[in-house]
Amino acid sequence: MSDSQLEPKGAPFDGISSLQFSPASSNFLLASSWDSTVRLYDITANEEKTKFDHRAAVLSSTFSDASHAYSGGLDSSLRELELESEKIHALGQHDDAISSVRYSSETNAIITGSWDRTVRFWDPRAPTAQQSSHQLPERVYFMDTVGHRLVLALASRLFHIFDVRKMDTPEQTRESSLKFLTRALACMADGQGYATASVEGRIAVEYFDPSPGIQEKKYAFKCHRQTIDDVDHVWPVNALAFHPTYNTFASGGSDATVSIWDHKVKKRLRQYPRYTSPVAALAFSADGTRLAVGASYTWDEGEEGARSAERPALFVREPGEEVKPKGWGA
Amino acid sequence: MVLAKHFKCGMCPRRLNTAGGLAVHIQQVHKLEPENLPRIENALPGRDGYEVEIFGMEGIPAPDVADYKRRKEIELGLTAGSITQPPPKRPKTENRPLSEDELRAQLEAHKALMGAHETPAPAPADTNQSAVYAATPQTYATPPTPVPPIPTPPVPMMPPGAPPAFPGMPPPPGFPMPPGFPPGMMPPFPPPPGMVPPFPPPGVTPPFLPPSMTPPVIPGSTPVPPSLSVTPTPILGQPIAPPPLSLPNPTLAQTNPDLKKKTMLKYSEPNFSPDEVRSRHPKYYVAKDTVTSAPGSKTDAALAQVASETGIFVPEEARGKKRARAEDFL
Repeated sequence: MSDSQLEPKGAPFDGISSLQFSPASSNFLLASSWDSTVRLYDITANEEKTKFDHRAAVLSSTFSDASHAYSGGLDSSLRELELESEKIHALGQHDDAISSVRYSSETNAIITGSWDRTVRFWDPRAPTAQQSSHQLPERVYFMDTVGHRLVLALASRLFHIFDVRKMDTPEQTRESSLKFLTRALACMADGQGYATASVEGRIAVEYFDPSPGIQEKKYAFKCHRQTIDDVDHVWPVNALAFHPTYNTFASGGSDATVSIWDHKVKKRLRQYPRYTSPVAALAFSADGTRLAVGASYTWDEGEEGARSAERPALFVREPGEEVKPKGWGA
Repeated sequence: MVLAKHFKCGMCPRRLNTAGGLAVHIQQVHKLEPENLPRIENALPGRDGYEVEIFGMEGIPAPDVADYKRRKEIELGLTAGSITQPPPKRPKTENRPLSEDELRAQLEAHKALMGAHETPAPAPADTNQSAVYAATPQTYATPPTPVPPIPTPPVPMMPPGAPPAFPGMPPPPGFPMPPGFPPGMMPPFPPPPGMVPPFPPPGVTPPFLPPSMTPPVIPGSTPVPPSLSVTPTPILGQPIAPPPLSLPNPTLAQTNPDLKKKTMLKYSEPNFSPDEVRSRHPKYYVAKDTVTSAPGSKTDAALAQVASETGIFVPEEARGKKRARAEDFL
């Protein structure tokens, strides 16, 4: 069944900016889009369950629990989406577009990162939802959180690693080991580190532990490239997602391919057949049985490319054994 | 050129231009040996020797010049380096007829500006200045001078007697509104028939024009596109032309490293992500502070409906006000 994939009905009309499965069930998938919507899909029923209209393109959305989600985008405001009653509540504003929305189960907080160079913490139940705001040197491009760690991928190739319990100063600040613009970020499922990718077809694997012995293990490798007539064609890597149990990860690039990597042994486990559009977003379900792939134009070639772009498409794969490292459990 | 003679001989009333000149004078007239010349009287400590030869403004040691400029900057409360560095070059302006879209965008921008105006006439001088759209700071320094009559260029594109194009537009940059004129009213120089006041293309800072200069329409050289005279009435609700992206922290600006092999990089902008570039496309652009220009009235309506059903606050009021005021100036 490794090559079977579902195509849920009612894919967004424009670029898919983020995908996330429900923490409670691999049956529900949340997709935010440049078409100003957040959609909730029921995979088994193969239908669009709910659609939330926004004022502007949505750049990120996340579940907090099975019935609540949060979204942020170009209109700079954070919204709470009640998935059952289909209600929207505006929680507050950033000063510029919200690029990333995450939920920290450790602190039960909603965290937003914005191009206004702040990261903010929110409690949707409090009378004033915004709990704190932390200034950063650069625009927040991507955020991910694992355990009590919060990793921020900023513009100008900067990385800030925070402890969510102590947000006054970053635990670590790093410059990207990749020389080009950061395009994706994902934390390892085991909480040991993170992977990051750049527009120059390359992925870096990094570890949190600052001791030299551990830092020695970090590395970067080339991917999502192709040599055509002696010219190296290099595509941006737009999406990364770690498998929740096996800790392997998937990468998706503008070359419209998805690869599965085992970063421990530095091997590719699988590459899926090419999609019709760049891979813009990826997500594994909480139990690891499903992988969602959002294929849509990612604006690498500006408006020009948008004219010839294929219709956005959404796929759900059941990867099975192929995401399992060789000799797992042995 | 008359130069001050600061160096007075201690033994006679003779004054000289330079320290070296004084030294020669003392040696030759008063017959003193070069090694026992008297120290220069009334000099600053450490400056009473004959070593430094300054004539007029020439020959001042570079460190002393730098030191002086630094002191002056602090004294005048200027930013460091503002005296030392040459003034920025005047930005290039494209001297071409504007497209319909650009004109419309500028009208929108102007209306937004006018909508923000509270002050009734006669407005104080400073608010008048703010009515000069996107004017360079130098413009503010120019006193409001009456403009000499502009020679009528022989461009018979619009019939005489046609309403002056776009009443309510700001005067061309470099023409500050004289005090006493309410914002939005035409300045006291009506454009001659057949001439359309030039506007800078969006995103280009207009150059500083001395008030006596004729606006950059060279008679006969820039034909007005016919579309311009056909649709002088702009359509409301058009999105404001997005301003170009700018770096919040230019010191962190990145440059892509050189690539060894022949490489075709699919995305090569080092400082802005594809998402940021995309956010500035008119289709997606959301003006800061105003949620007004969110694309698609359909989502707006949907949101309003949600708002009425659930009683969620949507900043509808603020935008309504602004828009109403903008309409007053049409």
